[in-house]
Amino acid sequence: MTAVELAGVADVSADRTVLEVTGLDVHYGLRRRRRQALDGVSLRVAAGETVGVIGETGSGKSTLARAVLGLVPASAGRIVVGGEDVTRYGRRQWRALRRRGVVQYVFQDPLRSLDPDLTAGESVVEPLLLQGISRSEALVRARTYASRLHLEHDLLDRLPAQLSGGQRQRVAVARALVTDPSLVILDEPASALDSANRVQVLEIVKDLCAAGVALVFISHDLGSVAGVADRVAVLYQGQLVEAGSVKDVITDPQHPYTRLLVRSAPTLRTGSADRTERAALRALLNA
Amino acid sequence: MTPPSEHSVLERSETTTGETPPTPPAPSEVPALSLRDVRITNRVTGEEIVHGVAFELSRGRVVGIVGESGSGKTLTCRAALGILPPRIELTGGSIHLAGTDIATLTPREWTAVRGSTVSAVFQDPASYLNPSIKVGPQIAEVVRVKKRVGRREARDRAVELLQAVHLRRPEVVYGQYAYELSGGMLQRVLIAAAIAADPQVLIADEATTALDVTVQAEILDLLASLQERAGLALVVVSHDLAVVAQLCDEVLVMREGQVVEQGPTSEVLYHPRHDYTRLLVAEHEQYGLDKVLARVDAS
Amino acid sequence: MVRRVWAIPSARISLAVLAAVLLLAALGPMLAPQEPLATSANTLASPSWQHWLGTDALGRDVFSRLLDGSRISVVGSLEVVLIALVVGAIPGILSVYFGRAFEWTSLRLVDTLVALPFLLFAVAVTALLGNGITQAMVVTGVLVSPLFYRVSRAATLAVARSHYVEAAIIAGASVGWIVRRHVWVKVLPPIAVAFAQTLGVGFVIVSSLTFLGIGVQPPQPTWGGLLATSLAYLSYQPWAPLAPALLIMATVWASNLLADAIRDVSGEAGQSLVDERRAAANRIDSSAIGRPGGHA
Repeated sequence: MTAVELAGVADVSADRTVLEVTGLDVHYGLRRRRRQALDGVSLRVAAGETVGVIGETGSGKSTLARAVLGLVPASAGRIVVGGEDVTRYGRRQWRALRRRGVVQYVFQDPLRSLDPDLTAGESVVEPLLLQGISRSEALVRARTYASRLHLEHDLLDRLPAQLSGGQRQRVAVARALVTDPSLVILDEPASALDSANRVQVLEIVKDLCAAGVALVFISHDLGSVAGVADRVAVLYQGQLVEAGSVKDVITDPQHPYTRLLVRSAPTLRTGSADRTERAALRALLNA
Repeated sequence: MTPPSEHSVLERSETTTGETPPTPPAPSEVPALSLRDVRITNRVTGEEIVHGVAFELSRGRVVGIVGESGSGKTLTCRAALGILPPRIELTGGSIHLAGTDIATLTPREWTAVRGSTVSAVFQDPASYLNPSIKVGPQIAEVVRVKKRVGRREARDRAVELLQAVHLRRPEVVYGQYAYELSGGMLQRVLIAAAIAADPQVLIADEATTALDVTVQAEILDLLASLQERAGLALVVVSHDLAVVAQLCDEVLVMREGQVVEQGPTSEVLYHPRHDYTRLLVAEHEQYGLDKVLARVDAS
Repeated sequence: MVRRVWAIPSARISLAVLAAVLLLAALGPMLAPQEPLATSANTLASPSWQHWLGTDALGRDVFSRLLDGSRISVVGSLEVVLIALVVGAIPGILSVYFGRAFEWTSLRLVDTLVALPFLLFAVAVTALLGNGITQAMVVTGVLVSPLFYRVSRAATLAVARSHYVEAAIIAGASVGWIVRRHVWVKVLPPIAVAFAQTLGVGFVIVSSLTFLGIGVQPPQPTWGGLLATSLAYLSYQPWAPLAPALLIMATVWASNLLADAIRDVSGEAGQSLVDERRAAANRIDSSAIGRPGGHA
């Protein structure tokens, strides 16, 4: 399938675009073991928008995030972050851009994304210290964001092992927000948590949207983004196969994979009617 | 002990989609799995961890248990399999497998019961397979031991089982190692091993939790087809209410060792009585697919 | 981490022993009651108030010689450890960040060093470069450095691939920042273990060399040398080898004990180990006194 341009973004003016990816190709490996992880992917995210990037393991969704963050090089295409073309940036340029705190990332597993030997507070202030901000000021800012995320100040003095899963994830989100980024990429931020904490994290995500931060939500499950995303982009085998508003994609999916995704997402509506349809879609995709 | 089932799970599930499926076996008088006021205690600390779980599961029916980690759902399953951790014991109530009280089973009898009456699949399928042996022989081993057949016949049956769990090239998969297979395929392999001895009850404890949502749907569909065609009784355990809702006739919601809600699926979903259940339902309605679907229905 | 190590009784014992040995080395010659090199007519005497461990075949006070010889052993093993640390740990950490060429070269060099037997080399070097234990110790240090290289490289690799380091990179961290803020703390415990282990190895090497009479000119007393000469006069003084032997053993044992203690308390498992022991100790206290709940 050829690349699909995003629909429904006609009302977004160019200067409010926080992220623009055009025809992105990413390859891994050398010579014989060279694999293509992304093939001609295009995506645009405006300020205050929440876009869900959905795909199964191996679809390239994490690669897309890593390319936007500069962790993997692009083989072809263009990536523009906050008006800056970062496609051919070298290490030094990336470091300068990162230190401006424009783009941030929240990992899926907070236990592994926080240094076990540093207190929560130390982890949260790290991006600010990298910007050259004094420690005292950084701590003040850290406490502000911690309160916004309902974390009591004394929790910041604890090591990650001494915090609950939900608290840890909020610390990770605080670290991502503390530089006032324009774009935050979240990788399944709620999947490692239990119900009550999941709800809390999703509430925070909604607040972020309200505050004008652009969010990219990466997930394998349409259901986990349906409630928070404005638009959805579906990746399948490295290609963008469908994109549109959440409502359109869920109610009228075009591509067989999207249809399978929608039919597979667990809902409270019980039904075995979907089973035959799923089997048919799988047969179609595997043909 | 219970008489062996008339048809193997294998034979009964082999009907193709074109034919009309055979009528599911009438529910036997004796439920396949029956828990009555099950209480589990930690002998070291003396505190009771699970406080009174009860349900009856007949052939061809599905029971779901919803709860977070620490709710007691896994311990309940382990009790039914006779694999509670050391110093954690069943201290109240009873568990009956196809009519037999498990408290009366000797270790030798347990070995006979496991696999042929009750079986299970868990989360993280890769850790239940020997990484240095091909997966096919591991299933064949179960067949050989449980069915007491020779190597060649066991191999053939193993390949048939791999086909019954809808693996596309069962002959090829037979000869592959665990690391060569995806999460979904591994889980199918384990389901194949679990049904190899034609159990009456299959317990799936967070069996789909670590899988992608499309793969999760495949596994749940497989379990549903095994239930319909072979009359397998299922216990589906998950932290996701929607996963349970897909498949189950009856749902138990557990929290901190207590069953806070229990009833037919539609009752629990649409008329929840406990706050915790309402929280679980609300999560889907506010943040999940249901939110969008509801809006669509409204318009 | 120091606090955690201190909490383990075996670490306290070993640190006490090693501190004692260090003191001996520093102050030994001054504390010696007699001149270590002074011969006398009172040969092969039994222990007495004047000569705590008796005298040797030339009438010299054994105790004084033991004290005097401690410096060579301690200095020698410290030389080995420090050289091994610098030559091994620094390239180990850098090999993760300085590019493929550096990594490959350092790995192959380390592989080569591992293949060489350090005692033989130490002997050979001394034979080539003449007497003086320092050269032998330097060579041994280089030959033992692979341990430090591997240990620090492994620790650095584990950190370098972690998510929190990636988070730091996303926030704009440079390699130097990551090493200082994240890697260093995690590399120290394994290096500390290697340090303690190598200390023991160093003592054994020094003792072996001096036992063979290599590297030191008589009449300079050394533990190994004392052990060797006392064996020659075993029929006269059967107890004589005990003193140097026990001293060597105690030092090496203390080093290994310390290495074990540090290893036990390293990492997350280490913290819970210390917590458990403290909790158990509190419970025992409270039951003895009869007060429920125990101390905080």
